[in-house]
Amino acid sequence: MNQKIFWRLSGPGALFLVIFLLVPLITILVFSFWRTESYTMIADWNLDNYIRLLTDKTYLTFLMRSLVMATVVSLVSLVFSWPIAFFIARYGGKYKIILLLLTSAPFLTGEVLRVTALQQILGPLGLINMTLNNFGIEPIEALMYSNTSSAIGLTYLWVPFMVLAIYLSLLNFDFDLLEVAKVNGAKSWSAFWEITWPLNKIGTAIGVVLVFVPTLASSITSKFLGGPNGALYGNILTNQFGSTGTWALGSAMGVVLFFVSILVLLVVWRLVGDLRRSGISIKGGARL
Amino acid sequence: MEKSQEGKISRRNFIKGVGATAVGLSFPHIANAKAATLELRWLGWEHYNVHSIVSGFEKKYGVKVSSSFFDGNSEAYNKLNNGGTKDFDLVMADGFWPRLYAKKGLTQAVNYDKLSNMQYVFDDFKAPNYKLLQEEGGSKMIAAPNCWGGYGITVNTDKVAPEDANSLEMLFNEKYAKHISTSARFEENIALAGILATHQMGTQNKPRPDGKSFNPYVLTDAELQRAKELLIKQKKLLVTRWNDEDTLERLLRAQIVWASPEWSGIYRRIHFDKLDHKSKLNMKHVLHPKEGGLGWVDTWAITSGVTDSEKLDLAHKWIDWRLKPENMAIIATDVGWSPTVDVRKLIPQRYVESMFLNETKSIRDLHQFDVPSSPEKWEKIWSEVEAS
Repeated sequence: MNQKIFWRLSGPGALFLVIFLLVPLITILVFSFWRTESYTMIADWNLDNYIRLLTDKTYLTFLMRSLVMATVVSLVSLVFSWPIAFFIARYGGKYKIILLLLTSAPFLTGEVLRVTALQQILGPLGLINMTLNNFGIEPIEALMYSNTSSAIGLTYLWVPFMVLAIYLSLLNFDFDLLEVAKVNGAKSWSAFWEITWPLNKIGTAIGVVLVFVPTLASSITSKFLGGPNGALYGNILTNQFGSTGTWALGSAMGVVLFFVSILVLLVVWRLVGDLRRSGISIKGGARL
Repeated sequence: MEKSQEGKISRRNFIKGVGATAVGLSFPHIANAKAATLELRWLGWEHYNVHSIVSGFEKKYGVKVSSSFFDGNSEAYNKLNNGGTKDFDLVMADGFWPRLYAKKGLTQAVNYDKLSNMQYVFDDFKAPNYKLLQEEGGSKMIAAPNCWGGYGITVNTDKVAPEDANSLEMLFNEKYAKHISTSARFEENIALAGILATHQMGTQNKPRPDGKSFNPYVLTDAELQRAKELLIKQKKLLVTRWNDEDTLERLLRAQIVWASPEWSGIYRRIHFDKLDHKSKLNMKHVLHPKEGGLGWVDTWAITSGVTDSEKLDLAHKWIDWRLKPENMAIIATDVGWSPTVDVRKLIPQRYVESMFLNETKSIRDLHQFDVPSSPEKWEKIWSEVEAS
């Protein structure tokens, strides 16, 4: 492609990214080394915010809570998503796209609306507990403003991403391989473990990352469903930029979150192996 | 017409050209000046954006009013402190916040001579009875009152014992475990716990380190520590910390929550339902718990970004328009906040009673909403409560 045309086509997008992604990130990085005093940013370069975040057990608690929450939500999403994605890819036929879109239907509404809808199911006045109440059964406390409630909400929010990632991986998978395995005496379950799973490990890993990272940073779901013990790292981070006005500490929290997310990506990368070795390439080449 | 040689410009044509250019350049400005409508931009709480009041003002003065909203004072303060005085002509603030704005030069003096409707404001919300509309240590007026209220406790009197109902201790009482709620606002949670803590420690009425009278937003480290302990203890008693009034209202109506601090709007709605025989719930709103309570008067202030005399005049007209009793009556009945203007003859009696309009003196005993003495310390305390 002509260099001039290349720049004309990619220029606006690159400029957009520089202005709206890179500049705010650099700003946050700079602010994280400053301090805040009575709602005023003071350019007093220091490492205090990072020392506080990495040594004070208060903030480490929030980070740990979010890491545990992200792990649980990713695992539960994985268990739910695989059968759905497999069913759509294997048996969806000409309705594959429609079925896939149906799993994404909740995304046609906003996050707050979805969380509010979940409150109607999970809360003390929700469908489940009210039904139990009508039968004279004690309500399930775990569903009332709790971390369990948050985990259910977050799984509901991010499952479509996991389904999509696994489905896209399965689209390139040759299901005839399973028939070959069966002909050669493999049971369905061992065919899955020895053929389907390894050949779709990358798609699954992408799905895990797509669920893990946003869960790690999430705040809205836990704000509405989490209850008194449900504050996650994202909630405390949001507070810094809102009510407490401690922007410098909030910026440092943002930087820490960014690097933890990068670390997660690296760990997943190492666990599943190099993408190119598994057949996925940036040129879009098919596997097998 | 005078001819000119090709490529050369005659003197007359030159003058014509200059004239035409000058007229051409001027006309768009003249036209724009005629077409331009003066715009008044205010930053405040969304519920005060009442269409009929705004459109009435726009129609009367031929101007455009645009509004932006915030959730709390600190958010608005951050906006103005970071260049927002150029973006907003008026800002709303309550408690001690107008003084902070004025002290930081973010707002300017309000000329009360231009506010004819100030005559209808209750004396309890005017200087010298209510001092926070004046600059600290001076006589300059820095804001005009709008609505007032408390951050009292709405109590289900069928469930909470009468001897407990008037005390803040009710919110920390194990007897009511899993039937208590508080809002998610960290400042007011710490301040209320601070009032109880200082009451228990006996430090409320003793000389304060700053030499001023007791203010729950200015607590010593020991008092903050005690408040933190109370809040940690309270966590296991809570159903939830509500983020929106709708959630609390449903929990109160279902009798899952028996007591919670709130602005009294929910109490009023449930109480009105009782009066209309739509509900059997017996509720009361404790505006002033025995250990002390929180209150607020929200205000209009003019930002320092307003330098144009025409805009400044318009800003005053806006404040005066909002203070007009007929408009304040709309705020009382349609929006549900208690006006600082005497509208008792304009609204139904049930509103007068439930909005405490016969008890405006109680504002003098309530600790006004303020800026935490050290937002950094308060943030740390709140994070520790949340992490516990």
